[in-house]
Amino acid sequence: MNAFAGFNLLIGTTSLLFALLIIRFGNVRNILHITLLLLNIALVIWGYGCMMSALSDNPASAMFWWKIAHAGGLYTVVFFLHHVLALTENKGRRVLIFGYIMATAFQVCAAADLLQIKMTYVFDSYFYITPVGMAYPIFTFLWCAIGFYASFILFDAFRKSHGEKKVQFKVLLMALVICFLAGVSHFLTVYHTNIYPFGALLVPALPIVATYGILRHRLLDIEVIVRKTLVFAGLLASVFAALILPTLLIQEYIFRGAGFGGKMLGLAVSGVIIIASFRRIEDFLINITDRFLFQKRYDYKELLKTFTSEVLTVLDLNKLVKLTVDKLSDIIRLQSCGILLLNDEKNEYHLAASRGIKEKNVVLNVNNTLTSFLTRTKMCLSIKAHGKEYQLPEKIVLDMNRLKLELAIPLMTSQDEMIGILTLGAKKSDEEYTQDDMDILLPLAGTLAIAISNAEMFVELGKTQAEAAQREKMAVIGTLSAGINHEICNPLGIARGQCEAFLLNIKDGLYKNRTHQELVEKARKIMEKVIHETDRATTITKRLSTFAKPSKGDISNDISVKYEIDEVLALVGYEMKLDHIDVMNKIDENLPFISGDKKQLQEVFFNLIRNAAQAMNEKGRITVTAREDSGKVIMCIEDTGHGIPKDKLAQIFNPFYTTKEPGEGTGLGLFIVRQVVERNRGRISVKSKVGEGTTFVLEFPAVAKVKV
Amino acid sequence: MAVEKPSIVAIDDEPDFVDTLKEYFELRGYRIKIASRVGPGIDLIGSEKPDIVILDLKMPGINGEEVLNILRSKKLKTKVIFVSAFEDAGKTKSRMLAAGAFAYMDKPLKSIKDLEDTVNKAYSEK
Repeated sequence: MNAFAGFNLLIGTTSLLFALLIIRFGNVRNILHITLLLLNIALVIWGYGCMMSALSDNPASAMFWWKIAHAGGLYTVVFFLHHVLALTENKGRRVLIFGYIMATAFQVCAAADLLQIKMTYVFDSYFYITPVGMAYPIFTFLWCAIGFYASFILFDAFRKSHGEKKVQFKVLLMALVICFLAGVSHFLTVYHTNIYPFGALLVPALPIVATYGILRHRLLDIEVIVRKTLVFAGLLASVFAALILPTLLIQEYIFRGAGFGGKMLGLAVSGVIIIASFRRIEDFLINITDRFLFQKRYDYKELLKTFTSEVLTVLDLNKLVKLTVDKLSDIIRLQSCGILLLNDEKNEYHLAASRGIKEKNVVLNVNNTLTSFLTRTKMCLSIKAHGKEYQLPEKIVLDMNRLKLELAIPLMTSQDEMIGILTLGAKKSDEEYTQDDMDILLPLAGTLAIAISNAEMFVELGKTQAEAAQREKMAVIGTLSAGINHEICNPLGIARGQCEAFLLNIKDGLYKNRTHQELVEKARKIMEKVIHETDRATTITKRLSTFAKPSKGDISNDISVKYEIDEVLALVGYEMKLDHIDVMNKIDENLPFISGDKKQLQEVFFNLIRNAAQAMNEKGRITVTAREDSGKVIMCIEDTGHGIPKDKLAQIFNPFYTTKEPGEGTGLGLFIVRQVVERNRGRISVKSKVGEGTTFVLEFPAVAKVKV
Repeated sequence: MAVEKPSIVAIDDEPDFVDTLKEYFELRGYRIKIASRVGPGIDLIGSEKPDIVILDLKMPGINGEEVLNILRSKKLKTKVIFVSAFEDAGKTKSRMLAAGAFAYMDKPLKSIKDLEDTVNKAYSEK
């Protein structure tokens, strides 16, 4: 075996490995990957063909193998050009087409023995070609011209590029130029320069340097899996070596004298060790590689799936942002991540959810440099990509560091309002954000913005409803004040009057003739009255305050309809009495409990009873009935008022529908009543006849029989 | 020397309240009759022809305002003093005063003595 054959074995083998790498991890739809793969296949053919030619012991055999090698070698430069054109996004197709035609033409010529070449024994070691006519020099010239053209294009692109791309071009330029020059060195032998073709040794530079580029500078974007595979395999191998080593030591030193049996024992021991620890070591290694090296490219599909199914459907704003941050951090494996949300009232963006950001209460004013940059450009801001090109203002960098962000994506609504900022920190793998990342993150941010504004609107709606309900209730309580005032001021008046009269009587000497006994008895009676009256006032204030408090949303399973109606009647009873309204309470004893929010249900009963009273313009009767019917508690609140005309009946549950004078009612009463009833798993309906009265029917699922 | 004291009828649906008034005024030499329902109260006014009527405003049945109107329609010289817990930012108060009530006092009374002073003042202006 001569040195030249050895060189070519190296060329063939390294190219083969590289080709396999691209096949395994590359993308068949990516023109860069395809052209690089073709280039390597051509190099494999070239390398192994040259090797076989150099190993041939007769010119005929050498010529046969050389023709095979030539078939690959011819195309290397064309594939090289094609790759460069694709990489630089150069549109110059003519030279490329010319190259393919040329290569094919020469291929045909070679096969038809038209290249005018013969085999010569060179360097006293192998057969190599020598041109005998002009055909081969013309081929040589054209081949080199295409190669130089490609190198020039690459160099030009390298000069004009910047950032990551420039590094990628540099690496590839180095690899390809070295490789190309090595190819040129072949011609030295052809033209009898008597320089041994050491240049061939440089050809493996292409796979080696390109692999370096892949690992270090994300050349071709296939770096990640490759890196992980390599590192993982390396770690696994080293652990195995470490395991096998003690086995060998045991065999060599401890059981050396024991012959075959000792060897078997040593093997058995290491076998046990390996079996016992393999799984754990594997897990450990996977864990380490995942955690520290992190080569696994995150799964876009998983990200999309998780987002569309689990995250974006969440209506609870806090939950939504928290989940987003968590899922993004987990799937993309970020060191930090956060979401800032706009607070309309304060004109600030505050950090609503974060992970890996130390400062939990970051607040950025809307006029802050970072936020106004994002608002104005509506584009994402990346610390790395910009960092190299031009200096970001110090203020922005400061805020970016506070938020530990490498990438800030504005969350824009369809109204072009920036409602928040998604901040992504460095990936744990230290990889930079690629175009692929952006292609998924930007639409994701768009959808997230929609989800956030939906959630915000939902919160707003809930708040508005709660506020409206509370306003309505306060309005109701306001109109109640006559009755309430009576129920509070009267007891106080009596208590005060009794005490004061007693004191004044003593002062004015009007009790002079009374015995001590009589006075004590008098005082006792007064105090009993005072206590009675204070209790009376306390009861009413307590009822009122429990009623007026907003609901906390607690659900109870032991709501007694009878008790709640009694409470409501106690509150409105006096006013009804003043208005000459009789209240008939016909609620079945032993009625089952219903379940729901106690306060909300009180509110419903209160509203309906009060509505009934108002429907009657003084004098009339309200009948409240409740009975059990097939697992339901059915309540009727019936009045003898003026009734509701048929055409109005359908509207009474609509919001803002009111028959009252402006300012008298909000028109939300029955609307809220129905919402509250439905929220508590009940149903409400209404029957009415003009001139006879109206009946509201409520149905709630029964919980359990009252224990008697 | 005994100064002549005015005679009073007090009507309020709170029996304890009128009881308090009865004891206070009686001990001080006033003639006072009380009623905790409006019907009997109006009868009392008819039979007693008091100088002063102390009236609650909001009562079941006939309310204080109607009582005042009855008295005014009968052209009785009886002075009416309202003592009521009804509060609507002074609207009813001015209406009652316009309708001929002598005074309108809020419950609880600042002092029962105020009521006595008002009664005497009303009597002296009779």
